[in-house]
Amino acid sequence: MIFFNVIRVVAWKDLLCEMRSRETISSMFFFALIVILVFSFSFSMDQQAARELIAGILWVAFAFTGIIGLGKSFSAELQNDCLEYLQMSPAPKGAIYLGKVAANLLFIVTAEVILFPMFVIFFNLDVVEDLPVLLLIFFLATLGLSTVGTLFSAMTVQIRAREVMLPILLLPLAVPVMIAAVEATRGALNGNPLALYRHWIELLVVFDVVFTVVSFWVVELILDS
Amino acid sequence: MLNTIIRKLQRYKGWFGAAGGLCLGLGLYYGLVASPPDYYQGEVVRIMYVHVPLAHTSLLAYTVLFLGSLWYLWTRDPVVDNLCHAAAGLSVFFTAVALITGSIWAKPTWNTWWTWDARLVSFAVLFLILAGYLMLRTFIDDPEREARYAAVLAIVGFIDLPIVHFSVEWWRTLHQPLSISMRGVSISKEILIPLVLMGIGFSILFVYMLIVRTQMLYLSSLLNAKKGRLLSQVHLAKVEP
Repeated sequence: MIFFNVIRVVAWKDLLCEMRSRETISSMFFFALIVILVFSFSFSMDQQAARELIAGILWVAFAFTGIIGLGKSFSAELQNDCLEYLQMSPAPKGAIYLGKVAANLLFIVTAEVILFPMFVIFFNLDVVEDLPVLLLIFFLATLGLSTVGTLFSAMTVQIRAREVMLPILLLPLAVPVMIAAVEATRGALNGNPLALYRHWIELLVVFDVVFTVVSFWVVELILDS
Repeated sequence: MLNTIIRKLQRYKGWFGAAGGLCLGLGLYYGLVASPPDYYQGEVVRIMYVHVPLAHTSLLAYTVLFLGSLWYLWTRDPVVDNLCHAAAGLSVFFTAVALITGSIWAKPTWNTWWTWDARLVSFAVLFLILAGYLMLRTFIDDPEREARYAAVLAIVGFIDLPIVHFSVEWWRTLHQPLSISMRGVSISKEILIPLVLMGIGFSILFVYMLIVRTQMLYLSSLLNAKKGRLLSQVHLAKVEP
């Protein structure tokens, strides 16, 4: 029972900090807007080309935005030595980790949900019927990024050059998530039948399960002073 | 325990070097001179005798790194960490050379330096994970923490590799099939002998390099520890009066 309480308390703490400062979600949001802008300069797209490219652009923006949020998740704990106290607390480290994952997942998915309409407007997309599937893909892929990302965030926050190391460690490992997310999103945006891209969603589920378990198991070696 | 094993291997490491060199020499002779040129690819095919064994050795090196990391987390023996560090460096080296030789082979046969084929992408990702591993190690000052974090990264990366491979394979096979497949053509003895010889040769060479490099890292960590102790003594001597 304590275990679930710790998860809830850690997630709630992050949520409360975020609601008061609004730092993470607003920085993610504006960063992603800039990414959209840069992409629209880089490719001149008609609607046909946009349909092909949009899934990739979407996930490049989401991944880099997510990395901003993931990095802040633990670097915010450096103030007032909060990280030390987290590590010293008798609470199970796995529960602290899961609380952080839950908070990160919530932040990044929120940012994505706010951003997605921007993409729809800027790139002239029409999505009505496939919205639930898209949300499911967003959720699963973001969970995949968050599980590994939170682990590496905890790892890189305690070393030099942490801003550089987080994406360098995370992105190669997240290759399956990126591929699956892009392919599934493309399928959903083009209105393909679910059966054509269902295996990508299944891959996301497999990745999520495997890395939640593995990260949960190894996080005690990271959050250990 | 590993300490004594390595010390024993240490004494015979010359034999490893010699055996590896012998296998590689024989393999190169069979591969470059004795074996016939390929029916389709001509003389170009001979780079295979270097490329394929190198790719296998890099995977062997990563497997050693993975097992070593588990072993380190089990025993917390600093020498095991030196072994992991050595295996990672060698794995990066073998992966890089495998990618380069593969690229050279791809130019005349596939008429491109690089293609987004499943195996190529998997190896590129492997290379990036290992490069990140080595970079991570340089950014941590405390040796114990360095060893612990590196072990975690190696284990997580190793578990990720099959998923990367499957995802890339699905991604590519859905779009376009491989232009040239090695399967279906049964390998004849003249090709198999040099291939196996080179594979054994590179594996023994890897063991030899692993021993030497582990010893090197172990000695340099000893040196660093001694240097730290000396420096603190000098510092104390200055402070005391």
